[in-house]
Amino acid sequence: MSYQEYLAARDTVTTIGQPVITIILIVSLLLGAVSLYHMVMRDNRAYMLSAQLRKIVTLLLILGFIIIAWFHLRIYQTIELVYPPELANYMASTMGTSATSLRFAVPLWIETEKLYFWTLCLSIFLAVSNYRYDFIRTKITALFSSAMNIMLAAFGILTYYTSNPFREPLPGLHLEITGWYQAAGVGDPNVLYGALYQLYFRIIYFYNSEYMWTHPPMLFIAYASLVVTFVGCVFMLFRREKIFDRISYSHAKVGYLLLTVGMLIGYPWAVVAWEGKDWWWDPKINGSIMMWVLYSAYLHTRIYLKRRNMWRATAILGIICFLSLVFTYLLTYIAPGIHAITQ
Amino acid sequence: MTPELNIKPKTYDFYLMLLTSAVLVVIGLVCLYGIGYYTYTNETAPQWTQTQMYGDYIDSMNQLIYPFVVLLLVALGLCIPKRIVPRQSLLAAGTGILAATFLIALITNIGTSLAFLLAVSIVVQAAVMVLTMLGQGALTYEREGYFVQTGSSMLHLGTVIFVFDFVSMRTSELHLGVFWVATILITVGTVLSFYPGEAGNIARFLRPGSKSP
Repeated sequence: MSYQEYLAARDTVTTIGQPVITIILIVSLLLGAVSLYHMVMRDNRAYMLSAQLRKIVTLLLILGFIIIAWFHLRIYQTIELVYPPELANYMASTMGTSATSLRFAVPLWIETEKLYFWTLCLSIFLAVSNYRYDFIRTKITALFSSAMNIMLAAFGILTYYTSNPFREPLPGLHLEITGWYQAAGVGDPNVLYGALYQLYFRIIYFYNSEYMWTHPPMLFIAYASLVVTFVGCVFMLFRREKIFDRISYSHAKVGYLLLTVGMLIGYPWAVVAWEGKDWWWDPKINGSIMMWVLYSAYLHTRIYLKRRNMWRATAILGIICFLSLVFTYLLTYIAPGIHAITQ
Repeated sequence: MTPELNIKPKTYDFYLMLLTSAVLVVIGLVCLYGIGYYTYTNETAPQWTQTQMYGDYIDSMNQLIYPFVVLLLVALGLCIPKRIVPRQSLLAAGTGILAATFLIALITNIGTSLAFLLAVSIVVQAAVMVLTMLGQGALTYEREGYFVQTGSSMLHLGTVIFVFDFVSMRTSELHLGVFWVATILITVGTVLSFYPGEAGNIARFLRPGSKSP
């Protein structure tokens, strides 16, 4: 019965979520087009319209995130892996645990939800920076705001086409849950033990891990903040306006802090969860260290902005940092290693 | 007599920053090489991580990265303690420590020499942090303010402890404990360095009668 409830929840997520993300796509396309029009034609009406469209995208992203959160809650409520009685007794005698079942407390940023979460965080950063800085005050800052809107629009479009969390919600987890219920239906204790053995470690060290609730979201919030730094650095290349450095630096501070703590928190998790496995110097680790050292260099060079050539050098370094960030994110999908999505 | 160093303090700091940034970028390039090597090897020999090849790869990456970690530590050693030690003495001491590190590497191995350098760095950075927090000595910083200075010294001490823990204590039972000490220092140090105004407000809120240090 609980599996049926889970399937019903999954269907509901697709039924409600799919229209929401489709509207996000449409509004993102409009946002991108209107913001581009503003950048080319310098039309103030286009700027005002893009500000409204950005707010709509943000609200829709929040709505979609609430749907995702509800689905995760339903997974927790409906799916319960009940241990066979002999196993529960064995665990009680050897491990001293009185647990007789396991539930999935799955974080809200796994599988196809990752890019969605990143986009949501970016929209919130844009809302905050639009509130903090009066972008409409000058033509150049209004252009900056439009460039940020184009970035958000690009993220919205990318999310729809490459990482739509509503089209087929959590496909990997769904396979594991379905596999468990299929094994339970066979009626052979050995099959059930085998399925439980596989799932147990996945749940303890991955899905339900406290690190999973802290390490990835810190990194995604950092990534979102560093998108703003990137756009600021691009503008720094063309205009020597103090406000671009101020915006870049204030977002780099948030990004760097979360990046550092997020990466550090990943270390003890790796030591425990990947004990005996070959994870050190794998491509994702290399990429993460590369990204971190480059952002450290950016923060160092930024101290001497007033010196000759340092403005430009800092801007270029900030852009390279962001390219390394995107590359590091993609490594999960394009490179081998323990972080690879295919493993 | 030590010859006079004819570099203005600001220029000296600037070149140190350039050295630090350059070393950081080179470490990034080493990581890029690691990505390429791992990916290429995985294409040609899919099970290579189960063989000795993986151990050799780890060793080669460590050997490539260690010299730049040493350079980074030297840069940190020349940058942070300049607040308590005259620059000329600092350069002389830095050269001496670097020579000793090199000598230990020749006699023993790179790991031991790096552990030596890290241990010295921890002592120096810890001394700077304590003196900064107590407000002692003729400390000069690129950016002024008690919380920025304290944060900066905590951040650098945490970084050195983290590298020491990683290089020399990976098999120790204290490994994760020391890791968390470093993590707390780095986190608190970064927060204080980046948000000194907010830290001051919190300090004033917690101790309403006191003046900001």
